[in-house]
Amino acid sequence: MERKRRLGPMGVLTHAALGIWTLLVTVPIVWTFLASVKSEDEIFGDAWSLPATLQWDNFARAWEQARIGQYMLNSLVVVSFSTFGTMLVGSMAAYVLARYPFRGNRAIYMLFVSGLAFPFFLALTPLFFVVQNMGNVPVIGQFIGLNTYAGAVLVYIAYSMPFTVFFLAAFFRTLPTAVAEAAMVDGASHTRVFFQIMLPMAKPGIISITIFNILGQWNQYQIPLILLQDREKWVLTQGIADISTAAGYDADWAALFAALTLAILPMLVVYTVFQRQIQSGLTAGALK
Amino acid sequence: MASIVLTNVDKIYAGGVKAVNGLNLEIRDGEFMVLVGPSGCGKSTALRMIAGLEDISGGEISIGEKVVNHLPPKDRDIAMVFQNYALYPHMTVEENLAFGLKLRKMPKPEIQKRVGEAAKMLGLETYLKRKPAALSGGQRQRVAMGRAIVREPQAFLMDEPLSNLDAKLRVSMRASLNTLHERLGVTTVYVTHDQVEAMTLGDRVCVLRDGILQQVDTPQNLFDKPVNLFVAGFMGSPAMNFVTAELVRGDGGAAVTFADIKLSIPDSTFTDKPGLDQYVGKKIILGIRPSDFEDAGSAGNHANGWATLPVKVEVTEELGSEINVLFLIDAPPVEHKDTVAAADSGEDEEASLPLVGDKSLWTARVNARSHARSGQNLDLVVDTHNLHFFDSASGLAIGHEANR
Repeated sequence: MERKRRLGPMGVLTHAALGIWTLLVTVPIVWTFLASVKSEDEIFGDAWSLPATLQWDNFARAWEQARIGQYMLNSLVVVSFSTFGTMLVGSMAAYVLARYPFRGNRAIYMLFVSGLAFPFFLALTPLFFVVQNMGNVPVIGQFIGLNTYAGAVLVYIAYSMPFTVFFLAAFFRTLPTAVAEAAMVDGASHTRVFFQIMLPMAKPGIISITIFNILGQWNQYQIPLILLQDREKWVLTQGIADISTAAGYDADWAALFAALTLAILPMLVVYTVFQRQIQSGLTAGALK
Repeated sequence: MASIVLTNVDKIYAGGVKAVNGLNLEIRDGEFMVLVGPSGCGKSTALRMIAGLEDISGGEISIGEKVVNHLPPKDRDIAMVFQNYALYPHMTVEENLAFGLKLRKMPKPEIQKRVGEAAKMLGLETYLKRKPAALSGGQRQRVAMGRAIVREPQAFLMDEPLSNLDAKLRVSMRASLNTLHERLGVTTVYVTHDQVEAMTLGDRVCVLRDGILQQVDTPQNLFDKPVNLFVAGFMGSPAMNFVTAELVRGDGGAAVTFADIKLSIPDSTFTDKPGLDQYVGKKIILGIRPSDFEDAGSAGNHANGWATLPVKVEVTEELGSEINVLFLIDAPPVEHKDTVAAADSGEDEEASLPLVGDKSLWTARVNARSHARSGQNLDLVVDTHNLHFFDSASGLAIGHEANR
């Protein structure tokens, strides 16, 4: 009991660092939440003052005039499909790369991993033309070209693959081989072994990487900026950016903060609910 | 049920390591065959090739007359028990047992019947709704067995299934395995590095070394008539004692001499081991089982005609019913490659004393009525009918029917 209270010099440093980190993360969020219910004058006044009256109509303006509601729905559609797709394709690729030795296995894995180091903005222009060309594919072109959800979803998936494959391949390698072999002897095909045995066993890793992808894809701005130029198809990030830029220097700051709050809240909820699983997934490999 | 036949089976790993080399083995219908050998001898590889979990580099494996070289595991109709049980962690015991049956599209009532029977046989009825994580090691082991049993396969393949259990549980599971095999009569191939398990479980035992088959026979025959130095040294605990000796023939008949000791050999030995007389006047390697010694004082009448060996006791290991007497023989230890390989692999062998110098440390297993104590002088008698003779160059047993 005594030992628990006393911290060594390293412990003090660690706690100080964690304290600073906590402030760095929470202060901007709290400030954003606070500003979302202030009037415009109050926002430009003292940052620490509380609003005189709660300006709920900031949210109403953001929701209706700036159409945040519409954009949020668009984001929801794109992110659900792209996260599902990323996890499906990514986990299958990671499993095969982690478990089946074949010629070129290492090369493919390295190709994925090198994607992590690739500066994404370098690919923006060529990516624009690739997706534009996808629009010219006969029959399905109209669904996967520019200004289509499916086109954006495909690019989101490709963009998320490197980290997903990198992380999950490492995770699959830590799972015991004998269980898969037992299932094989029991009469399961490779596909069944993956979906009914290995995937459930990899659940901690799958959950944490799913959350990670949801967060990353929800916050995605550059990709939709070039691929979804039609106002009707915009996602949340574009909608928020539009509030601050549309009116030149006379932006509706209060509505902007309300929109930001609306964008942050769902992610905060997701993270809080799955906090434990994210943690266990990220440390699972290390706990050997 | 079916027989399993391996014909000239090879396994060569990438990098050129030959894990199994020209293995010929016939496992009869309903037989309990144990593959035993030191780690890295290829026994697990052989088993995994029968299961279809490893490709076969050469040769042919057939199960029940059907060549299975290119069949995936699921089409071979075999069931396997793994060393670390390999239960499906996210399924209950019941689902674990039923998984293989569901995949084979068996009707539900039949699945329930089989799972119920197996659970009853293995005493798992109260655990059916639990997940493997909530079971003890012994219970998990039984679930793994159950998963094999419900399948009612052509053959059971077991890869060191008892080695993760504690010593006491291992002995009781060994007995259950024997009963189970008696009751089900399914062809079983069992891999272990533990020669006691091999001796107690196997109808026949196959000894492997460096991927090469050494000898296949009943446990008793392996013990009594080992085909070479390796098998002689590997099977039996404590291990066989070896010494380089000279075979001589004088007025009183034939004898072997080593150090200052001379053991006379009964005439029947020469008729049992044809070819032995050609070694008269030459060096051979002599092997004596610890159990072929007895304390002269407590041996009584049955030691009539046995040779006497005066020794000084170094250490005694009292096992209750018997005493292991360790003593030094004034002759350098036999450094044949086979005896070294066999000694390396033994896990429960006593580590040799660093103080023995250029002498051989031998073990005699005598009756507990003996009062042998460390430091005493003791007269041991040797059953000279059971001496083992090996060619000092090839290491093969002289006069063994396989070596003639």
